[in-house]
Amino acid sequence: MSTDVVKILDGNTFVVSDGRGDIEASLSDPTGLFSFDTRFLSKWVLTVNGERLDALSTDDLQYFEARFFLVPGTGTVYVDAELSVIRRRVVANGFHEELVILNHGADPVDLEVRIEAGSDFADLFEVKDALKKKGTYERVVDGECLKLKYRRQTFQRETWIIASSPAAVDEDGLTFTATVKGHGRWSTELEVTTVQAAMEPILRRASVPRQRAKVADSMAKNLASWVDGAPRLECDNDPLKVTYRRSLVDLAALRFVAPILPKHALPAAGLPWFMTMFGRDSIFTSLQALPFTPDLAATTLRALGARQGTRLDDFRDEDPGRILHEVRYGELTAFEERPHSPYYGCADATPLYVVLMDEYERWTGDTRLVRELEYEARAALTWIDEYADLQGNGYISYKRRNEKTGLENQCWKDSWDSISFRDGTLPGFPRATCELQGYAYDAKVRGARLARTVWHDSGLADRLEKEAADLKRRFNRDFWIENGQYFAVALDEEGRQVDTLTSNIGHLLWSGIVDKSKAKAVAAHLMGSRLFSGWGIRTLAEGEGRFNPIGYHVGTVWPFDSSFIAWGLRRYGFKREAAQIAEGILAAAEFFDGRLPEAFGGYPRTMTKYPVQYPTACSPQAWSTGAPLLLLRTMLGLEPMGDHLVVDPVLPESIGRMELLDIPGRWGRIDAFGRGRIDPARADRRSRGSR
Amino acid sequence: MSPTAPKTRSRPDAAAAFFGDLASRRHEPLLHHATGTVRFDLRDGEAVEHWCLTMVKGDVSVSRRNAKADATIRMDKKLFEGMTRGTVNLTASLLRGLLGVDGDLGLLVVFDRLLPGPRRSRASFLERQEALAG
Repeated sequence: MSTDVVKILDGNTFVVSDGRGDIEASLSDPTGLFSFDTRFLSKWVLTVNGERLDALSTDDLQYFEARFFLVPGTGTVYVDAELSVIRRRVVANGFHEELVILNHGADPVDLEVRIEAGSDFADLFEVKDALKKKGTYERVVDGECLKLKYRRQTFQRETWIIASSPAAVDEDGLTFTATVKGHGRWSTELEVTTVQAAMEPILRRASVPRQRAKVADSMAKNLASWVDGAPRLECDNDPLKVTYRRSLVDLAALRFVAPILPKHALPAAGLPWFMTMFGRDSIFTSLQALPFTPDLAATTLRALGARQGTRLDDFRDEDPGRILHEVRYGELTAFEERPHSPYYGCADATPLYVVLMDEYERWTGDTRLVRELEYEARAALTWIDEYADLQGNGYISYKRRNEKTGLENQCWKDSWDSISFRDGTLPGFPRATCELQGYAYDAKVRGARLARTVWHDSGLADRLEKEAADLKRRFNRDFWIENGQYFAVALDEEGRQVDTLTSNIGHLLWSGIVDKSKAKAVAAHLMGSRLFSGWGIRTLAEGEGRFNPIGYHVGTVWPFDSSFIAWGLRRYGFKREAAQIAEGILAAAEFFDGRLPEAFGGYPRTMTKYPVQYPTACSPQAWSTGAPLLLLRTMLGLEPMGDHLVVDPVLPESIGRMELLDIPGRWGRIDAFGRGRIDPARADRRSRGSR
Repeated sequence: MSPTAPKTRSRPDAAAAFFGDLASRRHEPLLHHATGTVRFDLRDGEAVEHWCLTMVKGDVSVSRRNAKADATIRMDKKLFEGMTRGTVNLTASLLRGLLGVDGDLGLLVVFDRLLPGPRRSRASFLERQEALAG
């Protein structure tokens, strides 16, 4: 995608256009108007008197609204400044576009304004994988309205385009003719509506009912109250304030209303490929955002609970109790050419579901929700032992049952080559990656706490505690690589250690499964030059067979990953190291104007001086958006303790003074203060004791 | 429209069997969140069968009345029977435009929890379990 791409979005409807506001998508290009995983416009081109326009400037400060200031001519020879064109677009169940043309000259001007429109109705999966369509197209001029239609059996999708002023409508677009007097103005409004006949009840629920004329207003108010509801950050470091605000706004933009819970929002995973409910991403983001916007966690728990697996279904990799991986609404899902209805092929979301529930209760004291979801939490805990232990060795492992379209790697590093031996060979399946065992341990420990304090089932609590202790003991024996002094990334199908050094060991600190005696060595690896790039933690250590600083899961730095690793280091008392990671990631954020991408290159900071963006990274992406939030929590050392919030700040010097005001929780609202004292350049690598 | 009596067939009526089984359970923990009535209008040629499922926090009752409901779901009876046998997926059918839904979609998602998966998936699970035990 070129740099002048403009993206605006609302829930799972989004528009990606060029800097002029035009859309000319090819099959493999993710531009267009998308809703519920279907492209509803692949062509949307504005001409004035037969000429394309040239962008003077583009303003997309609001995530749901963009403004394009244009002039006729492509700018190659001269710019005719007699006319200017302002295009204002707002997303909402399709989009609304206002066209204004100003005549700056003294003489009247005859105008022919044309919008060319078309749609390929591609499923997002088809765009991603450049697949061909199987249905039939139709274009219908219905009075003033142009209807673009697609049909495959009973599957129908339509795009309706209508203007507020008279237009000549043909099958390829709309033409307006007008005479604008000297220093005069002409305008019209265009309404693009996505129609999904059989899905109407879903759509009605998923989109907040709005008065079209007030769409932008009400969205702006909603955004303002969202930002106001979050804690206020005061600090000496201006870029950090920018990053914080950017995170809150992007998190608001990525809010997604699941059709089954119409009044509540949870985080979708990321633009453009992942504007949908993802088990893992929604949970991680909710965890990161807990001290700031705890409602996201509540909705995530409810929505994922409502869609928890209840049966065995090999096509969907579904098991009873399993938390879903991904839901999709497009054509390929409808015709079961893809399994996302929903797809359950991930091994971590289920234990993480219990982790989130406990962390949510610790922050909010909302025991009602924990009681309401007791059945789902128990089912998730049961899944760990009954369905996830594929090898009968007491460890969670994964092997897809849908061998055609299921996911091979069902951990967060879900690309095909993410898990490898040091020499680069790939292990067989089932694979038991290490962080899954950490999550399982944490789920049992936290499940035990909920069982004892909320569900009043001490039998379950005792059993879970015993199982957790046993798991920890076995794990520290079976995964520990003695001569390397770190944990193997996985055990393969024969129980052999998959011996690469990876960022996964940081998640182990976060989960608490690491023996105290081993924590120091793990922290030293994380902060050593093979894993720590200066910006953050590489997914795979330098020197490993498959290491590549711009390899998706084999060398890049993922801000989300680093944020949980910082939390893990804090948990074991490595406060300075956690601050050092926070400094690196937040410094990187500055280069992206406060919006961290999904991943960036794993080159050493000293070499590039700036973070190298990964070529096809999603942005904004929910868990990258959440990373600065979790790092703020980590630096301030925020930790709920009963009805109190413990604040134990350890900040890098560059941050200076920092205040986080009105942190919501079971204590009401509390302020936290800190002052930067750690110089990352002279960071003390020694352990600082442990919890 | 008056409810049609199930026709006598050589094959047992899967819809009747499904609702009969559900009614006999009286309480179904999978439905514990839901309170409301879902009416299924199942087309069988010219006739339409009505099944009313009332859920009160897990307590279930079934009737054949054409009653007012919080959610109404219309589909071919054959399709519904496929769902009760685990050969048809409800969500995919909904996306494909095979269901007509009015009212509270959440109740349909709750109902989905009751449907079985494919028989073969169950069988292969049991085989894997046996292999592990053996």
